Amino acid sequence: MSIPTSEINSRQKLLIDSKAKKQESKIWQKFRQFYLGPIIAFVVFLALWQSVPVLLGLEHYILPKPTDVVAAAIEDWSLLWPAVQITVVESVLGFFVSAVVGIGVSILLASSKVLERSIYPYAIVLQTIPVVAVAPIVVIWFGAGYNSIVVISFLIGFFPVISNTLMGLNSVDKNKDELFTLYNATKWQKMWKLRIPSALPYMMTGLKISCTLSIVGAIVGEYIAGIGGGKGGLGYSITVAAMQVKTSYLFACGIAAAILGIAFYLLVSMFSNYMLNSWHDSAIKADK
Amino acid sequence: MAASSMEVVSYQRVSKVFNSETVALMEFDLSIKKGEFVSFLGPSGCGKSTALRLAAGLERPSNGTVKIFDKSPKKVIKQTNDIAFVFQDANLLPWRTILDNVLLPLELRGGNKKEQKKEAIRVLEMVGLKDYLDYYPRQLSGGMKMRVSIARALAAKPKILLMDEPFAALDEITRQTLQMELLDIWQKEEMTILFVTHNVFEAVFLSTRIAVMSARPGRLSSEMEVDLPFPRKLELRTDPSFSQYVEDASLLLEGSSIKRELI
Ligand SMILES: Nc1ncnc2c1ncn2[C@@H]1O[C@H](COP(=O)(O)OP(=O)(O)O)[C@@H](O)[C@H]1O
Ligand SMILES: [Mg+2]
Repeated sequence: MSIPTSEINSRQKLLIDSKAKKQESKIWQKFRQFYLGPIIAFVVFLALWQSVPVLLGLEHYILPKPTDVVAAAIEDWSLLWPAVQITVVESVLGFFVSAVVGIGVSILLASSKVLERSIYPYAIVLQTIPVVAVAPIVVIWFGAGYNSIVVISFLIGFFPVISNTLMGLNSVDKNKDELFTLYNATKWQKMWKLRIPSALPYMMTGLKISCTLSIVGAIVGEYIAGIGGGKGGLGYSITVAAMQVKTSYLFACGIAAAILGIAFYLLVSMFSNYMLNSWHDSAIKADK
Repeated sequence: MAASSMEVVSYQRVSKVFNSETVALMEFDLSIKKGEFVSFLGPSGCGKSTALRLAAGLERPSNGTVKIFDKSPKKVIKQTNDIAFVFQDANLLPWRTILDNVLLPLELRGGNKKEQKKEAIRVLEMVGLKDYLDYYPRQLSGGMKMRVSIARALAAKPKILLMDEPFAALDEITRQTLQMELLDIWQKEEMTILFVTHNVFEAVFLSTRIAVMSARPGRLSSEMEVDLPFPRKLELRTDPSFSQYVEDASLLLEGSSIKRELI
């Protein structure tokens, strides 16, 4: 009451200042701990890569320098950017179909023990067939180009979803299952209110695996199914660049595919964290 | 007729054998009347949980019969909300809020959503958690989780509450608080409670009757009435009459294991 206002102000300021400093040092600490190392490693890697072709006198079509790759990407940007877009559409479609079909089939199989027991073994056998080996059949059925590419992307991304989801649907805690039994829950009440929520972390794991695979599927699909008259995606660009020995551009395409994969993975991870936010341990650890 | 309508749970020479070798329960005979608070007291492995699970219809007797209101437990579960079970771990669904956890039994039975919510809030208020409706289980302490679990069991207005060592994992202070709250609830809601414990103090403090059990094979070795007046408060624990009951129950418990060794 008798403290002069100026003193209060200076004390408050001190408090705020120290708080801000703490915050700043915390961010810096976190940066140093988690990001500084990888950034330095990346810079060193780029420097080495830049100098090796020069030191060994390698031609740019054998091993292009990072600067060559960037130059090629800028020069052929009008080819690269549409190719990236097409691959994005193909792989996102493939991913969505594998997610929806994978989760749907899992729920159907898990809803009946007989169905699961008789069909799941074949699902495992099918999983061991390399999709690349059957891809030409897909092309015969769905024609060259777009449709086949999406189907191949779907085939590659589908199995991780189904195997993970099924595992989740069948790993319900016994006490919780009995709780539902005691309340006379129907089979489908158990499915929607217990088994599917219990399986959510497993489903998300499946989706995370599947999303990067769907990009692999789209690119491999383009190798095999061609473009069927339409515009080509990254896979097609890579084939063409390889034939023309445009190695720098080839590198640019590869890096673009990698960035695509990472971005897709991060997006699905964010979705997964959002879905599991309220309860799953791994998500809780992540937001701490 | 009058006697049988008072009988809520009846075990008639019930045996339970697992995997055709483990005799979890042998010739278990017990009749529990309306409004009783019966504890199953015994060492670990003596078939306490099995006896409770038989009453809930979660296990089928290998021999003999278990009846709830003169019907099979399975039938009672199918037709009514009369039986509720509280597990040792709170057994909450981590993806549901406290309110939604308590709503679960009501939701599964269907009905008016508004009424259900009112009822859920009523029972949560009873266990002192009205301010935590939107919390998730992971944000609560062990004792609070158990309170939610009890609230969930009460939500469907059961006539019989089956509890399998619900307080075993809690610290002593929380346990004592919850014991008194449980007694309050038992008197308010006019339920019959079957309570499994291996803690003699807990059994004496809570029960109107104790069924002492012994292991290998699991069976009922003796019964004891606890004639201490209600409401029972913390002070009762230092009362000589309480100590006497604890001593008696301990002797019965020991006796049952000594008898076994002599055989
Ligand atoms: N599902 C089961 N399968 C096989 N054995 C079991 C099963 N449940 C209980 N038992 C056995 O039955 C005996 C009694 O178990 P239980 O009723 O859980 O005892 P308590 O609850 O008194 O500790 C133990 O020997 C236990 O191993
Ligand atoms: Mg037990």
